[in-house]
Amino acid sequence: MAEMWISMGPQHPMTHGLWTLKIKVDGETVIDTEPDLGYIHRGVEKICEARNFTQITTYCDRLCYASANTWSHAYIYATEDLLDVEVPERAEYIRLVAVEIQRIASHLMWLGAYGPDIGNLSIMVWCLREREMMMDLLQELGGSRLHYNFPRVGGVKRDLPHGFAHRARAKLTLFQDRIQEYEALFDESTIFLVRSQGVGYAKPEEMINAGVSGPNVRAAGVDYDIRWAHPYSVYSELDWAPAVERSSIKGADCYDRYRIRIEEMKESASMVLQALDKMPGGAETYHEPGDPKILAKAPSRAAEGTTGYHHFEDSRGESMFYIAGGGEGRGKMPYRVSIRSPMFITIPFAAKCMVGYKVADIPAIMGSFDPCIGETDR
Amino acid sequence: MASSDWLDIRGWMDSIVGWSMDSIHDILPSTDIGLGPLGTLNIQAEFASVQSPLETLIFTTIMCTVVFGILMLTLMVVPYIERKFIARLMDRLGATTSLRSLWIGEGRVTAGQWWNQLPFGMGAPIGWTIGILNSTFGNESKHVAVDRVHNRGYHGIWFLFPGFFQALADFLKFATKEHIVPAKADRLVFEVAPIIIISTTIMVYAFIPFGPHIWAADPELSLIFMMAIFGVAPLGVFFAGWSSNNKYTLIGGMRSAAQLTAYEIPLLITVLAIAVVSGSFNILEIIDFQIETSNTWNLFILPLGATLFLITMIAEVERIPFDMPEAEAELVEGWWTEYGGIRWGLMFAVEMMRAYAACILFALFFLGGWQVPFEDSLVALPYIGGGLETVFTATPGIFILLAKAYIMFAFFVWVRASLHRVRTDQILEFGWRYLLPLSFVNLAIAIWLRLEVWNSTAAGGWPIWTAPALFGAFVLLFIILAIDEDKEALELDRRMYQTQTLDKASPGTHRE
Repeated sequence: MAEMWISMGPQHPMTHGLWTLKIKVDGETVIDTEPDLGYIHRGVEKICEARNFTQITTYCDRLCYASANTWSHAYIYATEDLLDVEVPERAEYIRLVAVEIQRIASHLMWLGAYGPDIGNLSIMVWCLREREMMMDLLQELGGSRLHYNFPRVGGVKRDLPHGFAHRARAKLTLFQDRIQEYEALFDESTIFLVRSQGVGYAKPEEMINAGVSGPNVRAAGVDYDIRWAHPYSVYSELDWAPAVERSSIKGADCYDRYRIRIEEMKESASMVLQALDKMPGGAETYHEPGDPKILAKAPSRAAEGTTGYHHFEDSRGESMFYIAGGGEGRGKMPYRVSIRSPMFITIPFAAKCMVGYKVADIPAIMGSFDPCIGETDR
Repeated sequence: MASSDWLDIRGWMDSIVGWSMDSIHDILPSTDIGLGPLGTLNIQAEFASVQSPLETLIFTTIMCTVVFGILMLTLMVVPYIERKFIARLMDRLGATTSLRSLWIGEGRVTAGQWWNQLPFGMGAPIGWTIGILNSTFGNESKHVAVDRVHNRGYHGIWFLFPGFFQALADFLKFATKEHIVPAKADRLVFEVAPIIIISTTIMVYAFIPFGPHIWAADPELSLIFMMAIFGVAPLGVFFAGWSSNNKYTLIGGMRSAAQLTAYEIPLLITVLAIAVVSGSFNILEIIDFQIETSNTWNLFILPLGATLFLITMIAEVERIPFDMPEAEAELVEGWWTEYGGIRWGLMFAVEMMRAYAACILFALFFLGGWQVPFEDSLVALPYIGGGLETVFTATPGIFILLAKAYIMFAFFVWVRASLHRVRTDQILEFGWRYLLPLSFVNLAIAIWLRLEVWNSTAAGGWPIWTAPALFGAFVLLFIILAIDEDKEALELDRRMYQTQTLDKASPGTHRE
């Protein structure tokens, strides 16, 4: 067959968002790819320059619809670095609970979307069902369904509600059982194995050179998790280890990237359960909003010339916030906010991974990298 | 005659048509009418000379209409099963893990406690059984917030009903949509393709008997005729993919052509094995062979053939895991991307119709058509045998046949819910490298059975050991294959399906 360019997107089931993948095919074999991003650029960084530090949280929530809490927390940690705030330990535990539940929800969203990519619709319904439990928990914390606006500079908006710990334990214990169902549907299916194994190899050194991070590099055997390497919250107090996949000499394939997220979900569930047990003051006690046990006093102005920085283990990789404070007479607002999105780097790299595989492998490869376009375009 | 029932639609229609024709003949004037130089005309005698072919024509037309009506009415159950059954599978503990999840809920809550709706408390034992199973094997959950299955019992028995007429609503929606032909499409071929696909698929049903007396046509070689017509639709699919002037449809059409060619051949060889075993190319005679002559379903004689037939038929009707031509993840909607309105609706109905035909054919070829399972043994039971015989006699064959077909379709849906989509090269490899040789093995088994084992003088035909030995050996083989996997070898060789290639596929570039 002759070679031709096919433009997949911006409206296409494979994209998981709003972007275009142009592929050049020779029959069914992909011989070149070209990603085209930027359809939903909203100018979040610029908007942040005209908002005060509390207002920005809601914008950071909206960076990724599937993983709102991790992004707002990444921002909050950078702001606390900027304003030099000491956070109460109980608030750190509550944040950890919120972020790890959000990570599970985000990975479930990924797994649910990955099923239809390779032709199985059941897993989508199962995953969204389990994600519903996680979203109910997050709703109890933040008050809304998707964008929680939960963290505050110096702590959290609210304490754990009455009965939250009980419900969270029940749901997460059940969830740990139900992960086995996904494994029964995926790992025991030869068709899934032949679809995902040996497909979409990504070498670890190439990924590191390109700047890919998070689960995608850990799938290739790179033992780097910011929660583990540079523990920021109370991650060092918990008993856990980052999930790292043993990969072959050719790098990580789609199966490795699937396994790593399953393992991360298990880790996160056990982390939340541990955090609920270890929480100072006990998980059942409740403090009113604004109580110094959960919210430290924080200055609302940043001096000129101060900077804040934090790198955060997001569900999709390493997200970074760099905030420059101050400016003439406008210390309530940041001078500059710079956001580093992991998927902005990963998507072009994933597009390069497709070269040489079949057209039918494109959703399998692209889906396995877990793209999220909201944070990519910012 | 065992393969017969009281619902003799053909006989009734034949009598009605014959009686009305005779009446017309009788009321026509029987005297010669002089036409002057043209001679004389006796209208009654003239009518008598064409009466017989006219009767046949009208009778056949009526039977075609009856079969088409039955097809369309019973087809509505098929999307209903698809919708309901897949919802159940996705709701509950899982398709591949266990079938018990279909009725067992969690924390003693089950979906729709339908047994409580049965009259006279007949369902109470079912409720007890399920309660015990649920408390023993169901997932433990103390908290109502995490129960997976909500009790839908408040619907009563009516929880079954919603969704049945959804197909009609969908049809109305499609029928009122605008017909759009893409710019630069090959308009003639674009319009002809749906006609080819739809008409040939409906024509398949001319040879499918819905019951012992409900069928439209019965030529001597109906099996070959039907399979030939079944194989025409891929041509229309390829036309549709090519003429739409769209890259996705082009790839979809190409995939469809490759896949259907690869699976048509094993399918035909498997069907040939059925014909060899049954000793006939006629569908009705194949059923009669199972019900009367041998008194054994072909499923127990040719288990390998049944498996091959099922797999190739799933591929032929393009359902998951073999729905490459319309893989919606990468090809949007495959070869039908550019169709809209009633053409899309009808082609989707045809998709269902082909799957339905596959289910009915499986029931006809392997499950004894309209015979009740173990009918003779059940009738021979003491005490209840007589009552059962009355029930079986009163049940028309069409109900039993359709029940089997719907169960087969539920199996298709189960497969769809459990499996993923296979890649193009893997589909073709599986078809050519495994199914084709296996179908030849199956044909050899069939020939051996017919020539060496079949004994037409003995009662029943097959020696008593045949069915248990063949079926038992097959089940044993299946169990061995299913559980005997070398985990270590799999682990070592776990990246065996490497497909990356940078060599260009076109022959021209290789020559350079």
